[in-house]
Amino acid sequence: MPELQKLYDAVLNGDQKTAVAATQEALAAGVSPMELITNYMVPAMDKVGSLFECEEYFVPELLLSARAMKGSLELLRPLLAAAGAEPAGRVVIGTVKGDLHDIGKNLVASMLEGGGFEVVDLGADVAPEKFIEAVKARHANIVCLSALLTVTMPAMRTTIDALKTAGVRGQVRIMVGGAPVTEQFAAEIGADGYSDNASAAVGLARRLVRQG
Amino acid sequence: MEPRYYLDLAAAGLRMPIGADLVLHEQDDPASILLDAGALGRVVETAARRYRTPLAFPLMDLRLEKADLLEFLGVPDAEADSYHFPAPPSKDVLERVLGSAARPFSRRIRANQGAVRYIAEKTDLAPVGMLIGPFSLMTKLVADPIAPVAMAGAGVTAAEDEGVRLVERCLELALATVLRSARAQMEAGAKAMIVCEPAANIVYISPRQRRSGSAILERFVLGPNRALKALLDEHGVDLIFHDCGELDTDMVREFAVELKPAVMSLGSSRTLWEDAEVVPKDIVLFGNLPTKTFYSDAAMPAGEVRRRTVEIVGRMKACGHPHICGSECDVLHVAESAQTIRDKVEVMLEA
Repeated sequence: MPELQKLYDAVLNGDQKTAVAATQEALAAGVSPMELITNYMVPAMDKVGSLFECEEYFVPELLLSARAMKGSLELLRPLLAAAGAEPAGRVVIGTVKGDLHDIGKNLVASMLEGGGFEVVDLGADVAPEKFIEAVKARHANIVCLSALLTVTMPAMRTTIDALKTAGVRGQVRIMVGGAPVTEQFAAEIGADGYSDNASAAVGLARRLVRQG
Repeated sequence: MEPRYYLDLAAAGLRMPIGADLVLHEQDDPASILLDAGALGRVVETAARRYRTPLAFPLMDLRLEKADLLEFLGVPDAEADSYHFPAPPSKDVLERVLGSAARPFSRRIRANQGAVRYIAEKTDLAPVGMLIGPFSLMTKLVADPIAPVAMAGAGVTAAEDEGVRLVERCLELALATVLRSARAQMEAGAKAMIVCEPAANIVYISPRQRRSGSAILERFVLGPNRALKALLDEHGVDLIFHDCGELDTDMVREFAVELKPAVMSLGSSRTLWEDAEVVPKDIVLFGNLPTKTFYSDAAMPAGEVRRRTVEIVGRMKACGHPHICGSECDVLHVAESAQTIRDKVEVMLEA
């Protein structure tokens, strides 16, 4: 019998190599992918999130855990797809046009993947048309917009307006974030949610998906 | 500058934003000014005159050194901002960069050096140079620097992991690039240098790792910046250390004690009168009003700017630490909010 606790510990400790090895071992022993995700990986990431909230963990630990989770998920994803399992949601994420900063966006993308979402990362300096294309092509239900600069924040509003004009605003919930972004600004530009950190972004995305 | 120069400015109650970007965007063609040393110098001079400061703070353009390095390595200027090294730069690349300090600079950075020269030769203002810090430059050369830096901090070596090798080699490139830029600005007449290390913060450098004894801050931030400080000291140029990233108190203390800047400029996430307890009194604290939110009347109404200005000036006076009240970073022009930003800067200066 494989030591499944090792997988939990590896994700919690951000040890990608061990996480991948433990996943391979578990799969070889016939443990189902859903059991690994539900009983070990997601609880480990939830624990990571709570350690982050109480400032025991910081962004680097969060990121290492997300990478460990992602390493395991890469092994499991083809098996899940073959079994017809659905992701928690389909997310299109990018830093808005004119803004080249992508660290925060990368972190949110990693955490969402770790949280079981399918994530299409469009990168940085993304034009509104690219968001629209991706929403249509990937049947996304969440759009995440990031901006680090006050000068590029208006591009969030432009992107949301473009999604409306393209007729796809109704099919997605829009989350925004980034250093200068505030909850008030999010409301002003017509976003559905704002998160000030990557860990909370996962909870927000889950809530928005539940709300439909 | 004389050792008491900044202390005297603080004692005289100087207040100032880093405001050259506001002036730049009042001009007809800001993009062309960025390539014109004389015009850029006049923008910097106008900002200093408008805000009644003897310190000619330049534009805080953290893209210059990266573009200069990448031009030498054959990356087109249009791609420089978004370029990341896909793999660790080879030893050959490192040697080429280290061995070519005398090569010409790229056009944009030359204009900035020329602006420093303009201030030094044509005005009575104190010419201040500007550099991105070596660690922050490294983070711009790598797509995903946080995880490999954390792995390095946990003891993973460059031989064991390509990501660690990538950040280590890019840090070497970054330091060489920054030192070269510093030399050129000092040659142009800079008497002080703002070194901007916004990436040296708790997002990149884990407090958990540091608490467990990792030397990550020393290895990635303090060491390279100490080399830079030594170069500035050799030339009698003052260090103005700027970090508007999110810091913990230990980082503030380390930056102050280890780098010994003349002025330390911190972001609005810090409470300056508390930081004053860990910063030696011969280091002037600068800032740290939340100018990044000045664009929004909802998030930062003028009345709140006034309240915060009065509070920080009063508290810093009460704690007896030398302080120049100002912006937490450069005050960026936002087209849709240009007037409200300018108005709030005036509130900050007058309150």
